[in-house]
Amino acid sequence: MGFEWKVALRFLKEGRGQTLFILLGIAVGVSVQVFLNTLITGLQDNLIDQTVGTSPHVWVSGRNGFQETPLEASNVIRGNFLEKDTDLGGWEVVEQVLEERKDLTAVSPVAEGSGNLVKGGLAVPVLLRGIDLEKADGIYRISGRMVSGSPSLEGNQVLVGLDLARENEIGTGDVVQVALPDGSSQSFTVSGIFDLGNGTLNGSWIFLDLGRAQRLFGLGDRISKIELQVADVFQAEAVADSVEGRLEGVLAENWIESNASLLSALQSQGSSSLLIQVFVLLAITLGISSVLAVSVVQKSKQLGILKAMGARNASASRIFLYQGALLGIGGALLGIGLGIGLIRMFLWGTAIQTGVPLFPLDPTLESMAVIGAIATVASTLAALLPAKRSSKLNPVEVIRNG
Amino acid sequence: MAEIVLETKELKKVYGTQVKTQVLHGIDLAVRKGEFASIIGYSGSGKSTLLNILGALDKPTSGQVLFRGMDFGKMTENDLAAFRNENLGFIFQFHHLLPEFTALENVLIPTWIRGGRGRGKDVKKAKELLDLVGLSEFLNKKSTNLSGGQQQRVAIARALVNEPALLLGDEPTGNLDSDTTDQIYGLFRTINEELGTTLLIVTHNDHIAAKSDRVVELTDGKVSRDYSNLELGAEDAFRQVAPVYCKFCPHQPAHGGQSHLL
Ligand SMILES: Nc1ncnc2c1ncn2[C@@H]1O[C@H](COP(=O)(O)OP(=O)(O)OP(=O)(O)O)[C@@H](O)[C@H]1O
Ligand SMILES: [Mg+2]
Repeated sequence: MGFEWKVALRFLKEGRGQTLFILLGIAVGVSVQVFLNTLITGLQDNLIDQTVGTSPHVWVSGRNGFQETPLEASNVIRGNFLEKDTDLGGWEVVEQVLEERKDLTAVSPVAEGSGNLVKGGLAVPVLLRGIDLEKADGIYRISGRMVSGSPSLEGNQVLVGLDLARENEIGTGDVVQVALPDGSSQSFTVSGIFDLGNGTLNGSWIFLDLGRAQRLFGLGDRISKIELQVADVFQAEAVADSVEGRLEGVLAENWIESNASLLSALQSQGSSSLLIQVFVLLAITLGISSVLAVSVVQKSKQLGILKAMGARNASASRIFLYQGALLGIGGALLGIGLGIGLIRMFLWGTAIQTGVPLFPLDPTLESMAVIGAIATVASTLAALLPAKRSSKLNPVEVIRNG
Repeated sequence: MAEIVLETKELKKVYGTQVKTQVLHGIDLAVRKGEFASIIGYSGSGKSTLLNILGALDKPTSGQVLFRGMDFGKMTENDLAAFRNENLGFIFQFHHLLPEFTALENVLIPTWIRGGRGRGKDVKKAKELLDLVGLSEFLNKKSTNLSGGQQQRVAIARALVNEPALLLGDEPTGNLDSDTTDQIYGLFRTINEELGTTLLIVTHNDHIAAKSDRVVELTDGKVSRDYSNLELGAEDAFRQVAPVYCKFCPHQPAHGGQSHLL
């Protein structure tokens, strides 16, 4: 260990009160950064997860177009459509093409239409969604979110949303009547009740078998759309574009377009958090810089003696740079600990009433390392000016003045 | 005649840029190896200024300082720092220990600066020196918990730890009582005789001056007297110094006394 380290450490150790204060200052700053960073990241992940976690990221329907048989041989595969709507014909081919993509995690064809649930003379509007349960599970995880009954869509079985079931006093095993747009009425057996964690969906959705829905809504061999989940949710737009490029006559929409305001809110939240962090860092840096500047004056006698005994000017600066670095490292470690404590407290505090935290927060090692490293570098830089002064200090002045 | 360790040529020092005060008016001095010389003179005569220049802490306005023929003026700041560390021991009027460190650590600091990693050897040396100054029981005491005289003795041990060729002292006993002053003088003698260290001590103490080998008196930035005590008897040596001071000091004690005027 060079003597500069020895002296730096000893100066810090002997200036206990001052050292503790500045360490605490850095630690508080760093803990705010760790907490804020984790909170914002957790909040954003949570919001995005809530928005798109169990809903389609991209949905592919027919573009109002022409009717043609799919050209399987060529690179471009054409859908088969009715002119007047956006239904998707030749969808098996489209589905197959989509299944082959590696950037998708779920592909689920849907045939849907509206209807009215008739109960005690009242008509409640519902959305009848024909699905392949296994494929739809890839997006909605219906099988795992059953409140009662079992996830089964055999024959005339349907699954009903929790709120819809509650409001209309429907239970598993009940038979329900649904009026269809063409005036006919259809009866279904409720095989189970699901909770998708969303009031709107729970209050209006009824799942039934895909083929059955096609028949009831007179879609023939067409479907309404294919819903997709993308591995990286923020790639949804690019995936939609590439789907449209690969498949002529289809319309691929994505969640990013339809959530523009949410995303811009997240973005501005992110940048304001960054701004706060920059200012916190600035405050830390200024704090260290001024404490060390005072310390140079306090220690000028010692520095003068060290120089008189042969310490070089560069050594005298290093003593202060090292102090800055030591304060930075110590403060950062302390701050990371404190930040984790704050996060624990937040999780515990928000879990008091419900038993589960408001949303999950897990600070990543990486983000903490980055924050710690930045604080250390900033502290060392903060010591630059005091170090410069220390290097310029003239030993004769100190020695002359006792 | 022994080799000349330190030599100055036409040394001048002017302080200030706007208001100029010339403090040294051409000092020519040669200090020989193994010599124990004292510098005396009235307050403001330029003793500290001269010593700081000789110790490579300050630069002359003109003239040369040569250490074994090596010109300070031709050395870089870092060279001078290394030079101070390796060849010079400096004892200041105020002990100037680092309060953050223990007595032993303070003595070791020059070895640390030298880059000494051979801990064992340096520590042994430092302990020997502290033993020599009679402080072997206070090794691990913080320097602030030592008495003034003890601190000064630590400073002497520190000045000697790198075995310097030249020991410079600026009123090293200036704020000590007469008994301690005598002890420290004895110590200087021991160092001078046993280690062959050359000593150049600024002093206000007549007895130290009279007991050293040579006396250099500064008056208004010039060497006004420079004589060898070795050629005089002890009584004469004291009489050489005393009259100058006794004009101002009617109550001069008979022995071990210390002038309070300068
Ligand atoms: N930095 C400075 N700027 C201007 N003048 C100075 C400076 N340092 C010393 N002097 C002046 O130089 C003269 C000699 O000072 P110096 O300290 O060398 O005297 P001294 O012989 O050591 O005195 P003392 O016995 O009181 O210590 C004094 O007149 C002092 O005022
Ligand atoms: Mg002086």
